[in-house]
Amino acid sequence: MTAPAAAPLSDKTASRVASVEELRIHFDTKAGRLHAVDGVSFDIFDGESLGLVGETGCGKSVTARSFLRLIPVPPGTYAGGRIHFWSKEARQTGGSPVDLLQVPASQMRDIRGNRIAMIFQDPGKALNPALSIREQVAEVFYQHRSEDLLDGWNGTPPRPIRRAAGQRSGKLEWLAFKVPPLRSPARRLRKRVDDLVGDALAETQIPNPRKIMTSYPHELSGGMKQRVMIAQALACNPDLLIADEPTTALDVTIQARIMELIRELQLRHQTSVLYISHDLSLVRRICDRIAVMYAGRIAEIGQTRHVFHDPLHPYTRGLLAAIPSLAHQRGELAVIDGTVPELIDPQPACRFHTRCSYATDLCGRLDPPLVARPGLRPVACHGYASPDELGVAADQLPRLDRDAP
Amino acid sequence: MVEAAARRPPASSPSGPLAIRVRRFGEITKEVLRNPTTTIGLVIIASLLLMALMAPIITEANTPDAYQMPRDWGAINEPPGTPGHLLGTTSTGGDVLYGVVWGARTSLRLSVIVVGITMVVGTIMGSIAGFIGGKVDEIIMRLVDVLLAIPELIFALAIAAVLGPSFGNIIFALTVVFWVKYARIIRGQIIHVKHNEYVDSARVIGDSKLNIYRKDVLPNSVTPVVVQATLDMGNIVLVAATLSFIGLAEAGLAEWGVLVSEGQAGISAGRWWASTIPGAMVFLWALAFNLFGDGLRDVLDPRTEGR
Amino acid sequence: MTNLRDDPVGAATRAEERPVITLRGVKKYFPVREGVLQQIVGHVRAVDGVSFEIRQGQTLGLVGESGCGKTTLGRCIAGLTDTTGGGIYFRLSEADRMFLDEMDAVGQDRQTSEQQAKVESIERAHRIDRLKGETWRTYRRNCQFVFQDAFSSLNPRHLVKDIVGRPLRVYKEASGTDLTERVVELLESVGLGRQHLYRYPHQFSGGQRQRISIARALALDPEFIVLDEPTSALDVSVQSQILNLLHKLQQDRGLTYLFITHDLGVVRLMSDEIVVMYVGEVMERAGAQELFASPRHPYTEALLAANPDLLEGDEEAEMRGLEGTVPDPARPPRGCKFHTRCPVATPRCGWEVDDAVAWLSDNSTILEGLGGVERSSDFESVLRFAEPGTAAEAESLLASAAIPDAMRAALVELDQDGPELRIRFEEVDRVRLEDVDVGHMTSCILHTSQADLDSRP
Repeated sequence: MTAPAAAPLSDKTASRVASVEELRIHFDTKAGRLHAVDGVSFDIFDGESLGLVGETGCGKSVTARSFLRLIPVPPGTYAGGRIHFWSKEARQTGGSPVDLLQVPASQMRDIRGNRIAMIFQDPGKALNPALSIREQVAEVFYQHRSEDLLDGWNGTPPRPIRRAAGQRSGKLEWLAFKVPPLRSPARRLRKRVDDLVGDALAETQIPNPRKIMTSYPHELSGGMKQRVMIAQALACNPDLLIADEPTTALDVTIQARIMELIRELQLRHQTSVLYISHDLSLVRRICDRIAVMYAGRIAEIGQTRHVFHDPLHPYTRGLLAAIPSLAHQRGELAVIDGTVPELIDPQPACRFHTRCSYATDLCGRLDPPLVARPGLRPVACHGYASPDELGVAADQLPRLDRDAP
Repeated sequence: MVEAAARRPPASSPSGPLAIRVRRFGEITKEVLRNPTTTIGLVIIASLLLMALMAPIITEANTPDAYQMPRDWGAINEPPGTPGHLLGTTSTGGDVLYGVVWGARTSLRLSVIVVGITMVVGTIMGSIAGFIGGKVDEIIMRLVDVLLAIPELIFALAIAAVLGPSFGNIIFALTVVFWVKYARIIRGQIIHVKHNEYVDSARVIGDSKLNIYRKDVLPNSVTPVVVQATLDMGNIVLVAATLSFIGLAEAGLAEWGVLVSEGQAGISAGRWWASTIPGAMVFLWALAFNLFGDGLRDVLDPRTEGR
Repeated sequence: MTNLRDDPVGAATRAEERPVITLRGVKKYFPVREGVLQQIVGHVRAVDGVSFEIRQGQTLGLVGESGCGKTTLGRCIAGLTDTTGGGIYFRLSEADRMFLDEMDAVGQDRQTSEQQAKVESIERAHRIDRLKGETWRTYRRNCQFVFQDAFSSLNPRHLVKDIVGRPLRVYKEASGTDLTERVVELLESVGLGRQHLYRYPHQFSGGQRQRISIARALALDPEFIVLDEPTSALDVSVQSQILNLLHKLQQDRGLTYLFITHDLGVVRLMSDEIVVMYVGEVMERAGAQELFASPRHPYTEALLAANPDLLEGDEEAEMRGLEGTVPDPARPPRGCKFHTRCPVATPRCGWEVDDAVAWLSDNSTILEGLGGVERSSDFESVLRFAEPGTAAEAESLLASAAIPDAMRAALVELDQDGPELRIRFEEVDRVRLEDVDVGHMTSCILHTSQADLDSRP
C-alpha cells in the first residue's frame, strides 16, 4: 500500500483547530474488512468552514463522527492515524494538541459538546422526546458550564448549590432545595439556567424562546428542532462545530434559513465549522474550503471557488457536471459511468480508476497520494504527477485536458 | 450509462430460478447452523423425531392400540436396567421405555395437529382482519382479545370438564386457545406490510386483490408465524403434558404427562424413574424447539435479513 | 366549482397535443379523528382544488415542499387514493372539458336534461373514478407509477424477472420463454441485461433498483407515467444517469410524464411545464423556462432564492430562506395560503385572527393571560383575558409598529372593553388562479386583478 506522506496541506499550520492525519477507520463485515475511511488527511483552520462532500458511502460521516469517537467499536476499528485538536487555550499559548483518538474517556466527555459540538441530520431523532427543550439545552450548561451558573454569586455559594450547578445533587440535597435555607439559592440557580437557555435559544432567532423552553420536541417543526439543536451545540461556544448534513431533512426554504443562521453564528462566535454534505451547491454557498471525498479517500481539497471553477480531479469534474443546472439540455446531463467500488480489502489502485475516462494502467496499480504540487492545490490524481516523480514513462500517465489553473 | 456491477455479485452464476431458490434456502440453513445452540436444538429435535418415527421398530407395538401402555403385571416397579425393561417399569407394570418412545409419537402427533390447525386458522383469521380491515377487523380482534384474556390452562380445563377427559378433547381445547396468537401476529404483520410501496406497485399494475395478498402481502408477513409455530411445537407438548398430568387424558395412554402423573406417587419410595424419565422427555422436547425457534427468529428477523 | 379558465391555458402554443390527464378542482381531504369514539373533528386538506392538464408527450413538473400535497395528488391520479372532490379525467378532449366547465358554471339544477345526460356520458367515459371494466383496464395499463423509494417498491422476495414480468402476466400478454424475452428487452431498454434476470432486489444498488422500477412501469407500454421523486434517494452521479434514461425513454416511446419533485434544478431540466404547489393549492403554473425567467408568485421567488444556482447571472448570490413554518393543512390560512410567510404580503392577502394570535404567541407572553376566545368567524373574534390590563397591553401591541405592516393595515377593528379585546380583519375571498400571460397562471393578487389594491387608503 503506498501511503501518501502526511504532508502539511497548507502553510498556515499555526492557526489550525484540528488536523486529521492518515485517518483509517475499518469495519468488520461478513464479506470482509470494509475500509470506510482509508488514509484521510486534512486540516481545519481557525474560524474557517470546511465542507466535506461526497456521495453515499464515501466515508464523510464516519470521518466526522470519529472526531468525537462516535464510531461503534466493534464492528468499527480505528485502524490508524491521528486527529489532533487544539483547544482555544492551546492555540493561544502555543500549547500542544491532543489526539482525539487517544484521549481518555473522561477527557473525551469534556470535549464533547464543550469544545467540539455536533449537529445531526435528523433533529427529530437527536432530541430526547421525553425532555422539554429547557431540560435538553440546560443539560449542556450543567455538564460543562457549572462555573458560569455560579457566576455573579455573592461570596462562595453553599456546597449543595455548587453540586446542583453541575447537576450532581443527591436525592437528599434535592429534598433540601425544597426547604427554606436552600430554597432561594436553588431558585436563583434555576433562574440563572433559564436565562442562559433563553439566551442560547434567542441567538438562533427562535421566536419567543421562553415559550419554546417549556415545549417538547414533538410540538416543534423540523426547522425549529434544528434551531434547538444549533442552540444546544453552540451553547458552550465550542472551538469546532461539526454539522452532519444539518439541513438534508428540511425543506429548501427552511434549509436556506438554517444555513444562513449557522453562517451568521459562526462568524459571530469565530467557530470553525466542518460541514458534511452530499449537496455541492449547498456547501458552495457557505464553505471557505471544500474537500471532495470518494470511496474513503480525499480526491481533492481547496478553496471553494477554485474547486468549482477549476475542478482538478476527474471525479470532481464529473460530479459538478452531473448537477442539473441552467447550462444543461434535457437528456444531456453528464454521467459518471459505473458504481462506487467495493471498499472491502481494496487493492492498491486509484479508487476512481474503474469509472475514470482518463484512467491508464498505472491508475490500476498505483495509488495516487493527495499531494500539493507547485502551482496546484492538493489533488490525488496521477494526471498531475510528473513522470520523474513516479519513475514511469510520460505516456503511462493519464492525460487530463487541463485548463490553466 | 449502466452501473457496471451489481453491488453483491453472486459467487457462482445461477442457471435459473430454481437454483436461486435452492441456494437461498441453503444460505438460510447455513446461517441457522452457524449458531451452536440452534444446532443443538436441531440435533435434539432430529433425534426425538427419529425416535418417534421408529417407535414400532424400537419397541413391539401394543395391540390392539399402540398408543396404550402395555401392561406387564409380572414386572411391577422394576428399576432401570432390568432385562426386557431397559428403563424400568411403572407401578402398573408399564414399560417406561415404551412410554418414552410412543410418548414421543403422541407428542409429535399432538403438536403437528394442533400447530397445523391453529396456524392455518390463525393465519386466515388474522389475514381477513388485517387485509380487509374496518368492521371485520374490529369483530375478529375483539374475539381474539376475549380469548387471550382467558388463561389457556383454565380454558382447556373448562372444555375438558364439559366434554369429558380424553386426549382428543385436549387437542380440541388447545386448538381453540392457540389460534389467537397467530391471528394477532399475522394481522400486525399484514397491516405493516400492506403499506409497503410494492403493494401499491402491484395495485398500479392492476393485479387482483387476491393476487396481491398471495404474492406480496402473505409471503412478507409469514416469517414470525413460522418462528412462533416452531416455539409452539414445544409449548404445546408442555401444556398438553400439564393437562394430562392433572388427569384430563385417559389413563394408560402412552403420553409423557400421563406417565409423570402415574409415577409421582413412587418418588417418595425412591422409584424415581417412572416419573423423572418421561418428565425429562417433556423438558427436552420443549427446550429443543425453543432453542431452534430462537435461532430461527434471529436468522429470519426482517431487520437482520438480507444484510 | 367555479370556472377557472375562460381562455384555455397554452391553447395557442400546444393546441395540437391532446391532454392525457385533466384535473378539474381535485380535492383530497383526510379526516382527523379524535377521542374514544374516533369522531371526525376536522380534515387535513392535502389537495384543495387543483386543476391542470398534462398533454401528450409532455412532462409536467409538480414542485413544492414536503406536505404540500404533491405526492397525494400523484397517488390520486394513479388511482391509488380516491379523491374527495373534483375529477381526474383520462383523454378528455378540449371541447368536452370546456363543456364540463360551462356546465359547472351553470350549476346542476339549471342544466337541461340533455345537458345532464351529456355530462353523465362524458364523466362515465373519462372520469377515472367512474371508469368500469374495459375502460378502467385501459386506464390502468396506460397510467403507471414510479416510486421514490426503489427499495420498498420492489417485493424483496421476488426475482427481477417476476417483478418486471408481472404486469405482462396480469394482462396475460406473455408467458414462458416469451415472457423471459420480453423482460430481457425491457431490462435492456433501461440499461440492465439478461444477467440480472434471476436476482433479488437487495442485490442491486439504488440506481439499478430504480431502473428495475422503470422497466416494470414500461412493461405494458403505457402512455403516461407518474414519477414520484424518482431520484431523490439517489446520489448526484446516479441521478444524472436516471434522468437521462427517463428522457431517452420519453423520446423513444412518446411517453407523458408527471414529474413530482422538490428539487427545482431537476424539475427545470425535465419539465415542459411546471406547477408550483403550496399547502394543497396551485400557486403558479407556467412553462419551465418562463417560470424560472420571470416568476410571478412570491412563493416561487422564495424557492428560487433558496437555490441560487438556478438563477441567471451572479453565481456568488447569497442564498435566502423563508421565515416561519408551513401552515397546518388541517386549518389552512384564509385568502392566499402563503400570506403568513410572504415577504411582500399586502393587507388584502387574507389576514385573520389566527395570524394575530400566532404573532402574539411568538412575540410576547401575553397569551398566558388569555381566558378564552369567542370566534364569530375566521376574521372576527373576541379574546377574553383574565385582566383588563393584559387586554389593553395586547391592544397596544397589535396597534404598534412591531407587527407586520400588512397585518396591521388589514385590521379594521380593534376594541378593548374591559378584559375583552375584539379583533376584526377585513374579509377576503379565496384567491384564484388567473392567467397573466400565455400559458402562465398565478394566484398572487399582486400579479392579477382579483383584488383592487389601490382602492385602499
